[in-house]
Amino acid sequence: MTRPSALSAGPLRPLLGARMPTVATAVLLVATVAASAVLQDGFFTPYGLTSNFAAVLPVAIVTVGQVIVVLGGGIDLSIGTIVTLSSVVTVQLVAGQPDRLPLALGAGLLVGVGCGLVNGLAVAVVRLQPIVATFASSFVFAGLALLILPTPGGEVPSLVTLGYRQVIARAIPVPAVLLLLLWLAWRAVLAHRFGRHVYAVGGNEGAAYASAVPVTAVRLLSYVAGGTFAALAGFALLANSGSGDPFLGNSLTLTSIAALVIGGTRLSGGAGGAGGAIVGAVVLVLIQSLVFFARVPTTARELVTGAIIIVAIALAGLLTARGRGAGP
Amino acid sequence: MTPFLEMRGVHKRYGGVVAADGADFSAERGEVHALLGPNGSGKSTLLKVLTGVVAPDAARVAIDGRPLSVRGPRDALRAGVAAVYQELSLVDELSVLDNLVLGVEPARRLGFLDRGRARAAARPALDRFAEAFGGRPPAEAPVRDLAPGERQLVEICKALVREPSILVLDEATASLRSGQVEVLLSVVRELADRGVLVVFTSHRLAEVQRISQRATIMRGGRTVATVPIPQTDEGELVRLMVGELAAPKREDRRGGPAERQVRLKVSNLAADRVHDVSFSVRAGEVLGVGGLQGQGQSELLATLFGVLRRRNGTVRVDGADVHASSPAQAVAAGFAYVPGNRATEGLLLRRPLVENLALPSLGRRSRLRLPLSRARELASAREAAVRVNARYGSLDEPAGSLSGGNQQKAVVGKWLPGRPRIVLMDDPLKGIDVGAKAELFDLVRGLAADGAAVVLSSSDDRELTEVCDRVLVMFEGRVTGELSGPELTEDALLASALQVHGNGP
Amino acid sequence: MTERLDTGRRAGGAESAPDTAGRGGPGGGRGGPGRGLGRLTGHPVLLAGALAVALWAVAALISPGFASYPQVLNLLTVSAFLGVIAIGQTIVILSGGEGIDLSVGAVATLAAIVASRVMEGSNANLVQGILFALVAAACVGLVNGVGITFFRVPPLVMTLGMIGVVQGAIRLYTGGQPKGSVAPALRELVAGNTVLGIPGVLWLWLGLILGVLWLLRRTTFGWRVYAMGAGRRTAYLSGVRVRRMVLGVYTLSSVFAGVGGLLLLGYTQSVFLRLADGYMLPSIAAVVVGGTALVGGVGGYLGTAVGAVLLTVLGSFLDILQIGESGSDAPRQIIYGAVLLAVLSVYGRGRRLRS
Repeated sequence: MTRPSALSAGPLRPLLGARMPTVATAVLLVATVAASAVLQDGFFTPYGLTSNFAAVLPVAIVTVGQVIVVLGGGIDLSIGTIVTLSSVVTVQLVAGQPDRLPLALGAGLLVGVGCGLVNGLAVAVVRLQPIVATFASSFVFAGLALLILPTPGGEVPSLVTLGYRQVIARAIPVPAVLLLLLWLAWRAVLAHRFGRHVYAVGGNEGAAYASAVPVTAVRLLSYVAGGTFAALAGFALLANSGSGDPFLGNSLTLTSIAALVIGGTRLSGGAGGAGGAIVGAVVLVLIQSLVFFARVPTTARELVTGAIIIVAIALAGLLTARGRGAGP
Repeated sequence: MTPFLEMRGVHKRYGGVVAADGADFSAERGEVHALLGPNGSGKSTLLKVLTGVVAPDAARVAIDGRPLSVRGPRDALRAGVAAVYQELSLVDELSVLDNLVLGVEPARRLGFLDRGRARAAARPALDRFAEAFGGRPPAEAPVRDLAPGERQLVEICKALVREPSILVLDEATASLRSGQVEVLLSVVRELADRGVLVVFTSHRLAEVQRISQRATIMRGGRTVATVPIPQTDEGELVRLMVGELAAPKREDRRGGPAERQVRLKVSNLAADRVHDVSFSVRAGEVLGVGGLQGQGQSELLATLFGVLRRRNGTVRVDGADVHASSPAQAVAAGFAYVPGNRATEGLLLRRPLVENLALPSLGRRSRLRLPLSRARELASAREAAVRVNARYGSLDEPAGSLSGGNQQKAVVGKWLPGRPRIVLMDDPLKGIDVGAKAELFDLVRGLAADGAAVVLSSSDDRELTEVCDRVLVMFEGRVTGELSGPELTEDALLASALQVHGNGP
Repeated sequence: MTERLDTGRRAGGAESAPDTAGRGGPGGGRGGPGRGLGRLTGHPVLLAGALAVALWAVAALISPGFASYPQVLNLLTVSAFLGVIAIGQTIVILSGGEGIDLSVGAVATLAAIVASRVMEGSNANLVQGILFALVAAACVGLVNGVGITFFRVPPLVMTLGMIGVVQGAIRLYTGGQPKGSVAPALRELVAGNTVLGIPGVLWLWLGLILGVLWLLRRTTFGWRVYAMGAGRRTAYLSGVRVRRMVLGVYTLSSVFAGVGGLLLLGYTQSVFLRLADGYMLPSIAAVVVGGTALVGGVGGYLGTAVGAVLLTVLGSFLDILQIGESGSDAPRQIIYGAVLLAVLSVYGRGRRLRS
């Protein structure tokens, strides 16, 4: 085509092209923080901040992993089960003993990398469609997690759980510092050749290929990165909860997708970034705790949370009818 | 002496279709070598084999006498081959600079990017094209913000950054303005003087004749001839390209539609990039919409067809007010729409021909609007296919198995069963080879002769003069001129389009 | 224009929808004409059927009871639930636009729970129960459709999010404790009542198979579904009312999921909160195994029906091997996922970047 078609302005803009503009994301952040400050007692105390950051961190980490996969033109529907699998491996290996931590963390990380590799091979090398391939693999990972830890249990060394909730210099919670590290890790990805290649592969695969970008390797690596971040998210969940659970992270798949859409990443790939996605994670976690603090009846809580997530995503879609999010 | 670049026996089949059937090509260092042929002649395939994008079934490629085994674009790049493709290969969300160095990013240790070196590498190419960008090239802007012509220039710069010894320009001038084309042609000459081999394809023979020393002509996947350009005139090139088929003749314009009824009357139409457009078309008339590219011609047609929102103005069909806010409503009001991009807008390439031909009039052949009679659909589709003279194997074959020209005939044919009163055509002949073009011309005239009003937008002035009764010239969304009768010539059209350009709107 | 020559015979489908320009890479099909297994992959329905029969034969060798007539009928009956739930999934996936409905399992559960509460074990409330259940299901589908068309939420995300909403709604509706029971007539239809020795539910499924095949192949609706799937923009520019169709397709999907839930209710006779949730993956698997490309516009329901039988035979086969009998679902889940990956890699592969 020699010029963009006049028709692309019609109602048929590809649905997956929807992205939430930066301004809308920022407004949502301000609104949820304000509502939390009102409804949550002691939201701005060190304790309140610590517990909120502690809850945000795992969601933010897994979202960054999902962002890398999605930017590269894929999607990882197994990411939540990778979180679960690597966390149950870790918690079983550590068995409450601090001196086994390096071994357990190393093994957990390896599980994340391995799962990412499986997904990456299926999508990039065998060329399966990302949605079905990772959907199928999620059942393998979830099943393995159930085999390794059939019922909730396992013990995380108190060293870890206490350290996770430390407050540095009376004001800065440890999870907040870790969140900052997460963002710096993302900046490093952006400054690396891999970062550009991920955007190129997700934005225009054919162009990337013709430009001698190693497309297969980039896609493969994006899933490995996704799996690695999932493992890290698993560690954060363990540190936050103190014990293992064979369903620990499964629901994070949807949460990560919702968070990145709210954060302005395009689900069809090539546009968006982790900065917005982290904000999206914050917004989602705050919404979930708001439902709790707003004294919604127990039986209705699931419905309200689900509805709010859908509405947030729908609003993101509506807002992107105009305006565009930021590039890298 | 062995030639600098030599390709021998290039074979490539896609499924059952032979794209290259033993094509040969050779060219020398420092030459601008044109590769010509109608669509589907295998040009693109040959070039893509050279650049590594397509894996040939068989081929021998040698550069400077050394055999080359290309397993992908990376290998080709290493051998000094860079290409500007027909379909743009830029990444919208990345900046111009990121695109220029994509795949060859200068990096520090561990693969971290070195922006300074990237900028230094991109600078010469961007500076060389500064004039064509109309000033400073926007290195940090995302590519999606650029105009089509600018994107094409970035694409060319991208190839230059790779410092090729063989540069492939595949329809690189298609979306450039004439000023930009001049800059490109002078760059091409410089490159050739420095010893770079430039392989050049273009549908515009005038450009080919200005810039190339030799031309290789392809037809049906084979190489027909390699001729020296200064000794070969345009007629001879066309004859070599189309073979036995004659080039399209200028049709005698029939008088007459003047006394027929007004079919479509548009008054003060306004939409995005369309400002205050008024015109009317009579039954049996072919109205052209011309001018420089991208002056609102497509938007005008899209607005009439209900794709773009109308802001102001009225549209009357046979005297009755029509306000279509979707294609479905426009179709119901008697409109048909033939887009230029048949792959994504005209046809369902994966579906059988019969479904394609039935789609716009689906339901009209059954009483309850839900159940279909296969026999009736087949009969209707066959009739339509015969009327547009499309050559196909079976109506149950996917539309994608037809050749390009026949696909475009099918795009016209699918509207016939619905008996449209107004046919809107948005550059429908783009990328159609000469032989099929002549048949499509007849088809357009035939539609008009059957009483339809045809509105035809085209980027090719010759097409407009050959097929239209009257041509509106558009500039920046307004109609700025109208030509008909004896004053409707290619020269006059160009003058009309450019005169406006010179004096401002 | 590029030469588009490759679009003839692709069963597996490409990376992305046809109208997201340029994403699948330039030109190119999956190489030359297939041989042997390759040729069979061109006919996924035959391949899936052959696999199902082969698996069944192996199972019958290991455990002779497997080949008995009642056991075969039981296999087909169990297949019917999946087959019916996957009707809507097939239509949604065929309609393209990254179409997929992850909420079918939750919707089937919802329908069963609503029906059982309204029926309260009495035939007098049968019609009412069915009606309420299907209306509830249709509402979910309509919301899916509205979110996808008007709010531009990607189908995957919309329907995935909808699972949470539906499960939340079930919890709110039941208070965590489903009440009521199935009407005897429904139970009879599924479990008892046989015509010519064949359970009523199989006759019903047969009728639905014929009906859906007719709907997709011989109605304007069906042709428009294929048109949307094969090229949404082309369909829109040919006068297809795409938004209306999307609403219809997702509503239909939920209604068929609801029907599946009702049949399941007749089979299990009592409801629980996660009754049919597990049908999400199998419904997609049945569609894909049956040769419908996830990009839309290619495939049909016959393949899905065969796919449903294949997956059910596989499940029973795993039972025979006594895998996953220890009360844990884990090993079956793993094998199920792995088999899906394996089947997909036989004919669910996208095209190469380099052709």
